[in-house]
Amino acid sequence: MTMTYDSTENGSSWADRMEKEEVTFDGNKKIVTHHELTEDGMFKITKIYEIKRIPKSVALRREWGKFGDASSDGKGVNPSTTQVAEDVDLTLTTNTETLEQDDDPLKKLGSQHKMVSCRYCKGDHWSSKCPYKDTLGATTMLEEANNSQAPPDNSNGAQSGGSGVGNLPTRSSGGKYVPPSLRGSDGAGGKKGELMSHSRNDDEQAAVRVTNLSEDARESDLRELFGRFGPIQRVFLAKDRKTQQSKGFAFIHFSSKEDAQSAITNLNGFGYDHLILKVEWAKPSNPR
Amino acid sequence: MTPPRLSNPLSTPPIINFHVLTMRPLMLHGHERAITQIRYNYDGDLLFSVAKDHKPTVWYSDNGERLGTYNGHNGAVWCIDVNLDSTLVLTGAADDTAKLWDCEKGVAIQTWNTSSAIRSCGFSHLGNLLMFSTEDRKDVDCEIFVYDTRSNEGAVSRIKVEGERVSSGLWGPFDEFIITGHADGKVRHYDYRNNKCIKQQHMHRGTVTDLQLSQDKTMIITSSKDCNAMLYDVDELSLIKTFRTDRPVNSAAISPIKDHVVLGGGQEAMEVTTTTTKSGKFEAKFFHLIHAEEIGRVKGHFGPINSLKFHPNGKSYSSGGEDGYVRVHNFDPSYFEFEIEF
Repeated sequence: MTMTYDSTENGSSWADRMEKEEVTFDGNKKIVTHHELTEDGMFKITKIYEIKRIPKSVALRREWGKFGDASSDGKGVNPSTTQVAEDVDLTLTTNTETLEQDDDPLKKLGSQHKMVSCRYCKGDHWSSKCPYKDTLGATTMLEEANNSQAPPDNSNGAQSGGSGVGNLPTRSSGGKYVPPSLRGSDGAGGKKGELMSHSRNDDEQAAVRVTNLSEDARESDLRELFGRFGPIQRVFLAKDRKTQQSKGFAFIHFSSKEDAQSAITNLNGFGYDHLILKVEWAKPSNPR
Repeated sequence: MTPPRLSNPLSTPPIINFHVLTMRPLMLHGHERAITQIRYNYDGDLLFSVAKDHKPTVWYSDNGERLGTYNGHNGAVWCIDVNLDSTLVLTGAADDTAKLWDCEKGVAIQTWNTSSAIRSCGFSHLGNLLMFSTEDRKDVDCEIFVYDTRSNEGAVSRIKVEGERVSSGLWGPFDEFIITGHADGKVRHYDYRNNKCIKQQHMHRGTVTDLQLSQDKTMIITSSKDCNAMLYDVDELSLIKTFRTDRPVNSAAISPIKDHVVLGGGQEAMEVTTTTTKSGKFEAKFFHLIHAEEIGRVKGHFGPINSLKFHPNGKSYSSGGEDGYVRVHNFDPSYFEFEIEF
């Protein structure tokens, strides 16, 4: 509504003009103009209405009386039940990474302060999110195992060249926690671990690790696939605990080491369900 | 040392289309406990909400004004529906009753007593028939009841449900059958004339929490505790799309005007106190209907979203959450311009 002071029209009687109410339509706007005399003078008052066309039934429902707990609310919005919230943003994008970034506090932490360093590629993300996890993960682990046994002077990662991944960052085991199964001959602590690992190691030597599995692969598929190389003791397919979706890797425990070896030679690089499988020993076999 | 980049010759730089739109939602705070379901009427001017407090509430959807409450239930109200011409309202509650209300006056017209809680209810599209389903208990079977609103006689049909209980249900197109979602993830068609299941699909691995039809009633979207939402052909129950998320999905809705789907959910209410708001994943997620990829998300609720609905004109959507609030979001005009380029 706008008010404009009108002092130019003095010709005709003000009473005539007061009664006149001009109504004009402009698109979906209705403009009503009339004049009003107050103590301060004559005013021209313009009211602009926006016309919205709604079904008759909706208009009728607008007139309904309030009932129930709302019967004492009176006309209009009751501020105790209806509030305007803070603005929220909806970012529409085809790039889901930006959405994730916005949301994940851990990710933010990782990218801003460089507090996070990947175990595999030394990038500033969590190891579990490493894009090279599958390709580098195995070799890095292998090296760590080697390092814990080999003298520290040849730990510059040169041996890993054969795996086709290139030079890898390696770390000495000094000061770091080393699981008992990997504790080799490098210290007094080694003896402790060996006691525990005797029975287990024999088992695990016949275990193979399968990565780059399709998410659709089930345990039964794996049994079928690996079963042709020999009897299988156990199949472990890693799944997300909540979604039950496969994480894309599995461990197959064979009864004999020979069967496991033949599975590795035959199935490594095998195209299975649009992906190329990577099959390797589950753990580096300890030469003792 | 960074590893060599594993370049993929097939990947082309994606065209990134970026729209930020700001919405100022209305917060409707008429309920004291968690919202269980919300629903618009056919014209979209009324918004109905039910919660675990005992008072179904109706609001004007455009300004959030509370029109009234339907007082009379003595338990958590699980479901609500309104008929086509907005004269009758049907609610089902945990006090083992379903009630039919006069929409305008807020008084109960009819009450049906059953032997267990009612988890889903719905009017047929014509509005003459209504259905509601009961929970199974130790010595009580899960059943679907169909009544005629024009007569006070007994049930038109009473279907005994085999297997897991019905967790959500609605009428299929042309009122030919009733579509139900079950606690074990099954989706079924029930023929209410012959009291039997005529079609079944078992794709979900968790409770089907919500079922919603598309505007033209050719597709149905289900949401489930198994973190997925699925889009089916309504007649064949053949799977068309799967929308994967990382949280239990409590509700899914299809936009009537855009190829968008909105999913709401989040961590279970009982686990909420153990985490922060952010990691609870309580945002509403927008997915593209065809690409089944996430395109946006909206924050706001302090608990999981229990029910989501698009306004029938597609220009706004509402969500009801475990925090007891209903939030009405009106889309900014730029929402309608957003298109995915190929």
